[in-house]
This record gives sequence, structure tokens and C-alpha cells, in this order.
Amino acid sequence: MPDQPFSTRLYHLTQRQRHWFFIAPALIILLLVVIYPIIFSTGVSLFRVTFASQSRPFVGLQNFERMLGNDDFIQTALNTLYYVVFSVSGSFLLGFGVALLMRRVTAGKELLRLILIIPITMAPIVVGLMWNWMLDPLFGLVNWFLGLFGIPGQTMLAQASTARMTVVLVDIWQWYPLVFLIIEAGMATLPRAPFESARLEGVSSWMIFRRLTLPMLRPVILVALLLRTVDAFRTFDIVRVMTDGGPHLTTETLSLYLYRTAFTFSKLSRAAAGSILMLLFIGLVSALMFRYLYRDVEVG
Amino acid sequence: MRVPTSERILAYVILIVMAILVLVPVLAGSITAFKPQIIWVSSPPTWIFEPTLENFEFVFFTRKGWVYLRNSLIISGGSVAVALILGVPAAYAFARFRFRSSKALMQWLISLRMIPPIVVGLPFYAMFLYLERGLGIGLRDTFPGLIITYQTFLLPLVIWMMRGYFAELPAAMEESAMVEGYTRLGALWRVVLPVVFPGIVATAILNFIFAWNEFFLALILAGNRTSTLPMTAGTYIVRTRVEWGNLFAVNLIIMVPVIVLTIILRRQLVKGLTFGILE
Amino acid sequence: MKVALTNLVKRFANSDRAAVNELNLVINEGELAVLLGPSGCGKTTTLRMIAGLEQPDSGRIAIAERDITDLAPKDRRVAMVFQNFSMYPTMNVYDNIAFPLHAVKMKRGEIDRTVREVAALVNIDHLLERSVRQVSGGEAQRVALARAMVRRPEVFLMDEPLSNLDAKLRAQLRTEIKRLHQDTGATFVFVTHDQEEAMTLGDKIIVMNKGDIQQVGSPHEVFFAPQNAFVASFVGTPSMNMFEGMVSADDTAGYRVLLPGFELTLPARFHNGLAKMTGNRVIWGIRPEAVRLVAAPGENTVGGEVELVEALGSRDLIFVRAAEQLFGVIVDAQASLAVGAPCHLHFPGAQMHLFAADSERSLQNNLPPSVPP
Repeated sequence: MPDQPFSTRLYHLTQRQRHWFFIAPALIILLLVVIYPIIFSTGVSLFRVTFASQSRPFVGLQNFERMLGNDDFIQTALNTLYYVVFSVSGSFLLGFGVALLMRRVTAGKELLRLILIIPITMAPIVVGLMWNWMLDPLFGLVNWFLGLFGIPGQTMLAQASTARMTVVLVDIWQWYPLVFLIIEAGMATLPRAPFESARLEGVSSWMIFRRLTLPMLRPVILVALLLRTVDAFRTFDIVRVMTDGGPHLTTETLSLYLYRTAFTFSKLSRAAAGSILMLLFIGLVSALMFRYLYRDVEVG
Repeated sequence: MRVPTSERILAYVILIVMAILVLVPVLAGSITAFKPQIIWVSSPPTWIFEPTLENFEFVFFTRKGWVYLRNSLIISGGSVAVALILGVPAAYAFARFRFRSSKALMQWLISLRMIPPIVVGLPFYAMFLYLERGLGIGLRDTFPGLIITYQTFLLPLVIWMMRGYFAELPAAMEESAMVEGYTRLGALWRVVLPVVFPGIVATAILNFIFAWNEFFLALILAGNRTSTLPMTAGTYIVRTRVEWGNLFAVNLIIMVPVIVLTIILRRQLVKGLTFGILE
Repeated sequence: MKVALTNLVKRFANSDRAAVNELNLVINEGELAVLLGPSGCGKTTTLRMIAGLEQPDSGRIAIAERDITDLAPKDRRVAMVFQNFSMYPTMNVYDNIAFPLHAVKMKRGEIDRTVREVAALVNIDHLLERSVRQVSGGEAQRVALARAMVRRPEVFLMDEPLSNLDAKLRAQLRTEIKRLHQDTGATFVFVTHDQEEAMTLGDKIIVMNKGDIQQVGSPHEVFFAPQNAFVASFVGTPSMNMFEGMVSADDTAGYRVLLPGFELTLPARFHNGLAKMTGNRVIWGIRPEAVRLVAAPGENTVGGEVELVEALGSRDLIFVRAAEQLFGVIVDAQASLAVGAPCHLHFPGAQMHLFAADSERSLQNNLPPSVPP
């Protein structure tokens, strides 16, 4: 209203825009810690920057070309894909199975659940170190146990053929409880009436599961898959302490490879280009999953 | 639901096996922390021995474990405190005020969960380096530097979790206080915050666990002065020899507080781990 | 204190229709005004604008000639009771009632005296040490009332405060609010969607729909002289029998209304309104209480049979199928009419309502003016 005094107009403005007073501090920090790095990486990836040299020539998309044409990068990208596929599907199936089994027990349920979720509370690096010890070819419990059945000591982490799957199994060991927790929480929120009426109508358990449980759990399942995919994609800690990418890059993940490119080989621009590629890829994957998810969940 | 006995027994058997698969590595590893050095790597494993605290003494004092513990506490506690101070007001606004960009902003916050830490760690390392060289502002290997960086994963989670807690309360609660003579901030402070306090505690605990277990960003951005407990765990591996007893002593120091906190938090755990997307 | 709303407009971003549209209303000092209407009619938004919890897009709000449009809620000297909130859960009853007094930095002794005085007024003085978990829903709403009263506000605003209570408690608290209003002599603005509650409480009823005021009047006026078809259908349970028909002039300079399956002679009080209406569509209505059961056919009577009987206690609501229409009729329970029984319905001209079909405005003469000066 133009006829209102300035103080009144100011008051109305602050009333309408009051949410910014609450949000601005958090938003500014988030822009600094998230948007700035992305812009920085994009910028750096277009130049040739190393920690050692002062000159920074503009090289356009050359870093991206070099990365995509680099066998090691392709190899680690494929390794990462392998982790994502096997760790996500393994932890999902196991977690879902445990959630279903958990509905069939009564006594001791709380205790069982508490024990089962211990792995997700552990630092991944601690998990990795612990399994190093378990898998030690000389004194590890796993080989000792296998020895009881006459199976000779295995060096699972040192062999290219087994190292990758071993790391994936440890990752599954740590993260299937997360899927279990999410699915269990999702099942707890399902309405009872449809299940009771289906049972009254004599529908078989399998059909109830296929036609009622699974469709109703769809959003929950998607959240579990989304979180696991994102986490498996960035795997670093466990691999770093268990194999450090070896033998011969067979277990090296993208995060580890880019870390090494930047900090061991000081190729900052290459690493930045690689991390942008990584971000684009995970952004694309999660955007697709997100779209699918938002079809049935109303957020915000 | 009625479950046939055979099915129930099968469920118990499988679940107990799963529990054993969790407990055996955790416990067997942990007792190594109490073994004297000569039986750290005995094979077959020694199960009966006289427990000793010498490994803990060694890592805590000789290897300065108490410094790393202190560093971890400062970094985790500090970054959770900062995340709460910044995140709680923002969460309140998202829960209460209708504004055009609110939904898009909340979705953007979830999307931050997707960003691989390398994308953040690398530029931060470079930025800290340039700030130090160019402006003489030292953030590398400092507590503030790490605390700021940790906001990438703590702040979005705090906002999402707290928004859920605020949204559960009727808006009439603070509106009532506003009609009764308080400003919105006064109402927030005297009425709303006391009510959501349990939610703040739950949010703080979960975020503390994430910060406490964090390894990657610390590896890149921390140094001698700010090394955290997870970082030191790796120092007990030397190519030729692993000091297993000492390593598991460190592992226990990292693990035990988190397990205790998890038991306290178990009801709120899912909400936090899933960003509350499923509310 | 007099509350005056002038040209009040409020739009919400997510709707193309104004939630409150050019609203003008005066509530006199000491009045108990009830804003009545279906959900989404703008009644709560209006109340919240008086409280300062919503900011109008344009228009002014004044209490006792003081313009409060741009004041914060805390400075408006009003009190408000809410539907879905009664007690601050982290404080006991005593601290709840004392809470508004801390805002004005009252001395401890005076606070204590005031809290006890007000608690006694709403009969919760024995609950002062109780926590939220130890009081019932009705008691909690009394705490909210006490908290509203403790600052001695000029205007009490009540946003469906009784909706979440069960029927018995609701009736009890309704009486108490009425007494409170008499004792304090303050101005009350009460919002409800329950027309029975509005009738029993209000000195003045403001019927609203889709952001507009439909009628302002005493409970009797809105019930017996609805100014438009909306008010006629919204006020009163069971609701008015209404049918659309056409006006025709008859040979004796009177008017008749042709309804589907029957026709009626209209009384003289509609004649002015119908002067140029011959051939136009109208809505004719009569309340179920006004329909008479008669023994034989006659003027303004239709014959039919009972199709459904609902017992209301001392009276029955029967539905009669006559001239292929269904009429609700309130009869004495003693009449004990069985389903299928034949009967004749007589519609007394004095209690007929007639509205233009297009504007839905009443066609009755000498209505009270729609908005009081």
C-alpha cells in the first residue's frame, strides 16, 4: 500500500520475510560448505593446478578427457559399480529378510534388535580393522574356524580373486541392519485393516506379501535403497584400512582413487574433474530414485 | 499374527545365528584389548587369560590417546553444537512458516546427503591452503576448520530431524504465548524449546555419533594438532606388524560411547538415519 | 470494547479465492459475537487477524477506536483460546495460569493472588499443582480459559474451544463461558461451525461463507428470517426443506409458486418482493418444525406417506414422501406414526421462506438491513 508510512511497510515486510531470519544463518553456512566446493572443483577442473606449481594454465575439458581415457579411473569406476550393485542388493535382501523374521519372534526381540544394530553404530574404519584381524591368514578367527573343518588358511584380502567380494561382505555385514531398521519401521506403520481382511478372505501368506506388503512398503524400500546406494557409492574407510585398494587396484573405489590422485600424486585438477564426474553420476542416479520415491511420498 | 511354532523356531535360529555373527567379531576382537602382548596373535586364539589394562595405559598415555580423545570430543561436540545453533531455528521456520521456496529448499537439503565427501574434502583442503598462504588465516589442522567442514553432513540432518519434532507440535502453542504477551522468539524460547528438548537431545546424540565416527574429512583436513580417534586407529598398523592389542584398545574407546548412546537413542534411530523422509 | 473490522481482505498464496473478502463488521462492547460457518468460510482467519496471528492484506482492525492493525499480538490486549491447544505441557496448572503475568513483569505476590482468584473462577483451584498428564481434557480447557482471563483482556477470542470435547463437557463449558461473559462484561468473539453452539451462546451471530458475511443478526433473526438461501440451509437442524420452483401470478392478484409435483399459494408478505418475478425461478423452503400434519387435504396441503422415522427423544423426525419429494417433518413422539402410514402435510404461509434462485436473496418484505450500521 503506497499510502502507508515507511515504518508500517517495513513491519509488513519483516512479517512476510521473517522466515529468512531463521533460515539465513544455516543457509549461508551450507552455501559455503557445499556450493562453494562444487564451484571450486568445477573451476579447478578446467585448469591444470597442482599443489607444487604456481602456474595454472587453462586447459578446458582436458582433465575430463584424461580422466575418462584413464584405465585406472575406468577400473575404479567399475569397482565402485561392483560395490554398489553387490553391497546394496546383499544388504537389502539380508535386511529385508531379517525384518520379516523379526516379526515372527516375541521373547527377546528387543535384545536381538539391539545386538543386530551394533554394526551400524561402529565407525567404518573400526569395522575394517576388526575384520582385518578376523581374516588374518595366520591367527584370524575365520581361518581358525575353517581349519576346524580341515580347510587350509586363506589369504582372502591378498588375492585379487577374493579381495573384492570379501570387502563387499564386510560392508554388507555393517549395513544390512540399516535396511532392517528402515523396513521394520515401515512395516510398523502399515495399517492393520487390509491385512486382517485379506486373511479373513483366506488369501495366502505369499499373496498377501506380494500384493499388499510389498506395494505398501514401496516408499520405504526406496528410501532404504537410496540411502544404501549413496553410501556404497562413496565407500572409502573400509577399503582404505582393509586393502588400501590392492591388490593391483582390484578393490580401489572412486573415492580412494581420487583421494590418491589429489594427495599422493598431487594432481588436483584431475581429481577435481573426477569428483565432478562422480557427483554428476550419483546426482543422476539419486534424482531418478528420488523421482520414483516422490511419486508416493509427500515430503515437506 | 499367529505364527506356526516351526516357523517361529526357524526364525529364532536364523536370528540368533545373525546375532552371533555380530557378537563374535565384536567381542573376540574386543577381548584382545585386554590380552597381554605375548598372546595378541596366538593361534589357536587364547580364550582364557588374565585380563590386563596395559594396552589401554599404553595407547592412552604413551601414545597420547587422551589427546586424540580430547580432539574427538571437541570436534564432535563443537560441530554438533554449531549444527544445532544454526539448524534449530531453520528447522523451526521450515516447520511453521509457509513460504514459496520452503519445499524446494527442504528437498535440496536431502539431496546434500548424496554428495560424496571427496567432492567437499578436496576443495576445502585447497581453500584452507590458499587461505593460509594468501591471507595468513590458518584453518588447516584447526578445530574451527573441521567443525565448519562437518556442517556439510550434520546441518542438513539437524534441520530435517528437528523440523519433524517441531511439526508435531500444534502451532497454537506458541501462538497462544504470543497473544499472552510474548514475542515469537520469547514464545519459542520459553514454550516451544522446553517441549522439543527430548528431540533436541536425540538429534544431538545421532549427529554426535556421525561426527565421532567420521574418518574421511578428518584424514584430509586434520593434522598433528587435531587428529581424531578414528585417525589414530590406523597408526597401529605398520606394514610389517600390527599392534593388535593396542589397536583394539583404541577401537573400544571409539565404540563403547557410541553403543551406549545408541541404546539411549534406539527409538529415534530410524528417524535420524533416514532423514525423517518416512514421517 | 468495541471491535471494528473495516474492508478486511486476506488471501493465502495457495488459493485463488480470498479467504476473507472485503469484510466489514462491528462487534459492540460487551457483546458475545459468534462467527458461524462451514470450514473454509474465513471465520477462523478473521479471528486470527483480530489476534494478530495473521496479517490482513488490506483493511483495518480497531479495538475501542484504537487501530491495532499493525500491532504485534502481544500488544493488542486480547486473549485467545484455541481448539487444539490448551496447556503448555512443560508447566503445571499454576505456572500455566501465571505464564501471561510473567510477560508483564508482575510482582510475585500479586501473581499468586491473581492466579488463585482466576483459578477459583473457573473451578480449577484444587488442580493448581497438577501436571498436564493429571488433568482431563475439560480441565485443560478450563486452564486455557483461566490463562485467557488472567490478563483481564478487553476482548476474548475463542477459536472453536469446545470442538475437541465430548458432548456433555461441551454443554457444561458452554454454560460456563456464557456465565464468564456475563460476569466479566468483556467483548467475546467466538468461532464455531456448530450452529447449535452458536444459537445457545451468541448475542449476535455472524454467518459466513466463502470469505463473505452472509448475515448478521440475533439467533432468532438468523433462524426465523434468513436473508439468503445459504443461511436458511446452514442454520437449523434438521435442515430446512428447500425446493426450486417458479413463480406464477394467480387471478386474485396473489402469487403462487409452482414446485415439482405440487403448487402453493404464497402469503401477502412476499407480494412486494415478487412484483416483477412472475415466471422467475425461486427457492421455496420451510423448516421441518413448521410443517403441520393435518387430517384432510386443503389449501397448501400435499398428501403422502411416511417413509422413514428417526427418534429424536420427545419428538420424532419423520420423512414423508409426497408429490414425489421427500419432506422432513418434526412431530410429537406421541403421534407414533409408522412407516407407510398415509398423511397430509400442511405448509403454513407465515413460516414459508422464499429466495430468488439466481441471487439466493430472500424475497420477503421488510427484512432488517443486512449489515448493521
